[in-house]
Amino acid sequence: MDLDLSPEQAALRDAIARIVADTGDIPREGGVVPARTWIAAEAMERAFEAGGFFGIALEPGCGAVEAALLVEEAGRSPLALECAGSALIGPLLTGALLPRPVAVARLTDLTRGVRFLDQARTLVVLLDDDVAVLPVEGLEVIALTGPHAYPLGKLAAVPDLAVARRLGHGAVPELQRLWRLALALEAAAAMQATIDFTTEYVKQRQVFSRPVGSFQAVQHRLSIDAVRARGVHWLAMKAAWSGSPLDAALAALHAQRSLTQVVYDGHQFNGALGMTLEHALHYWTFRLRWLGGELGGWSAQAAAAADMVWPNAAT
Amino acid sequence: MDFAWNPSDEAYRAELREVVADHLPGDWWDNYAPHGPSSPVVMENARGFNAELARRDLVVRHWPRDYGGQDADAWKQIVISEEMWSLGEPRSSLYLGANWAGPAIMKFGTEAQKQKYLRAIAEAKFLWCQGFSEPEAGTDLGNMKTRADPIEDPVKGYGYTVNGSKVWTSYAGRADIMFLLARVGGKGKGGVSCFLVPTDTPGIDIRPIRGVHSEWDFHEVFFTDAFVPADALLGEEGNGWAIVQTIIHYERIGAARYEKAARGLDHLVERLRERGLWEDPVCRAECANAKAMVEAARLLTYLVIDGRAKDRDPGADTYLARYAMIEADHAVANLAAIWLPDLLVDGADGHVRSQFNSAITSGIAAGAAEVQLNMVSGRHLELPRGA
Repeated sequence: MDLDLSPEQAALRDAIARIVADTGDIPREGGVVPARTWIAAEAMERAFEAGGFFGIALEPGCGAVEAALLVEEAGRSPLALECAGSALIGPLLTGALLPRPVAVARLTDLTRGVRFLDQARTLVVLLDDDVAVLPVEGLEVIALTGPHAYPLGKLAAVPDLAVARRLGHGAVPELQRLWRLALALEAAAAMQATIDFTTEYVKQRQVFSRPVGSFQAVQHRLSIDAVRARGVHWLAMKAAWSGSPLDAALAALHAQRSLTQVVYDGHQFNGALGMTLEHALHYWTFRLRWLGGELGGWSAQAAAAADMVWPNAAT
Repeated sequence: MDFAWNPSDEAYRAELREVVADHLPGDWWDNYAPHGPSSPVVMENARGFNAELARRDLVVRHWPRDYGGQDADAWKQIVISEEMWSLGEPRSSLYLGANWAGPAIMKFGTEAQKQKYLRAIAEAKFLWCQGFSEPEAGTDLGNMKTRADPIEDPVKGYGYTVNGSKVWTSYAGRADIMFLLARVGGKGKGGVSCFLVPTDTPGIDIRPIRGVHSEWDFHEVFFTDAFVPADALLGEEGNGWAIVQTIIHYERIGAARYEKAARGLDHLVERLRERGLWEDPVCRAECANAKAMVEAARLLTYLVIDGRAKDRDPGADTYLARYAMIEADHAVANLAAIWLPDLLVDGADGHVRSQFNSAITSGIAAGAAEVQLNMVSGRHLELPRGA
């Protein structure tokens, strides 16, 4: 067992982190954070496109771990970037790069709300017994707004999937695996970013003549959040390494079960400032709220995990 | 990045399972494990069981050959911990010597102490206990009051006279050696020193305390003018706190609680299925959630071991892992209490009872859960100290 990244993986992660550091911060308007629910990561997206990072999973000697590094590092940015569908789910599901951005949805999500759908060029749909891949062009997409820090869209009507490319029954568990892995990676990144952002704030913010972060009530909750975020990260990395559907389900479950407390604590400890759109906190916590309900939420991942861990006991 | 066990780890695990299959009593889960690793029945059984481990050179594979090991990597320590702790620790407190008392002696001991104790641990000759907590100093060890006053005895030579008391001391009733903290100098952490003391030393009186979780797990230990020779001092006078800080990283994740929780959870699911409770989706979801917590704790522990194998400072990783273990332990134990409470009755299901009992201790033993969080707060998040 060796939990270090290989030298090549570490170099890749560092390169991604540099791009995120250089291009992933919030563009200030008049020196202040613009009051929006989400901000597109235009410069970061251009940098990743130019460097070929979205195709990293298909490079020789690379795969899910390398794509996972990209998804997680990019997810630390407060800016919204469609990355998991393009760099992880699409390539590993189909063996090719799909026209991006890529939106991923269950059939029932299509007319309710899907991340990145209003910008996507490709739509991947999880059906009961198949996976459909289709271009978004020609579909009527309605942009949605809400407290989610992602661009959201829904279709005016369920499209005719009979004309869509079908990947077959065997693609269903693979899409579920990759989607759960992506979800866990994105959640791990946003959880850690929420903790980091909040930790810096409570070190500075004074209350009763002391830093907020000097109160044990605050310290212990942030510490528990840190334990959970670290756990989600390592479960996700193991799932990326192993390719195991169970590992992916456990990672997604632990993420969705843990993130609500991180969101709550983030907002509690940022106080009233965290209630404003001029404070950057919501760019992560709003994302976490959406991720918490994706793919059926934690109970769906739990049901899937239970059937995989204890197959002989499944009803 | 590689999460797979290497062949030597797998072979080591297989050898350990052979010993378990051949030498653990057939009624282990019914008549041994539920009583706890410091119960008289488990401690007495451990003498023979440990001798078999030692006969096959299985106790401390990860130690240097000079001290009875085989120069194997640090992963062997977690392999044996997983295999033993998951059974309710049939080694009893031999694990304490192998996990952290031995490494402390290796790092801080004199050559004579190394010769006296390290091979003895490898050969499973001693059971250990730790004399840390006191009536007025549990979590706050720096407040301990037991004294070790230097004395020049005309017959026994230079040494220390120990006076005071320890409490909630696991294993003490049948242990051979105590890893004792006593105060040689003044107040605070700077006055703490470590001693290796045979428990049959005149002046040491050990009385059992009935615990809520297992039989005779706790003891009071009274020291009344107990003479401890100078060569029992580990490290220098007043250096005890530094020793404790070093061994904490071995102690806090030394018991692979996640593995016991994992196997306990598998057992619980079998019982839930027998009762028809597995059809309840809430029950299945909660079991899966516990499984996720167990696996998160496992990986956070592996992260510490990986660093140890590479001779890295563990930083705050130990405390993150320990807290995750505590959460996992309780997640599984709570399932038993909620869904199968009748199995906690005496004699109903020793495996369930054993998991439930050990989970009770996990947030207290080896440092309170809140202390782990303090350490995460200070060393990982680098939050300012409180008033």
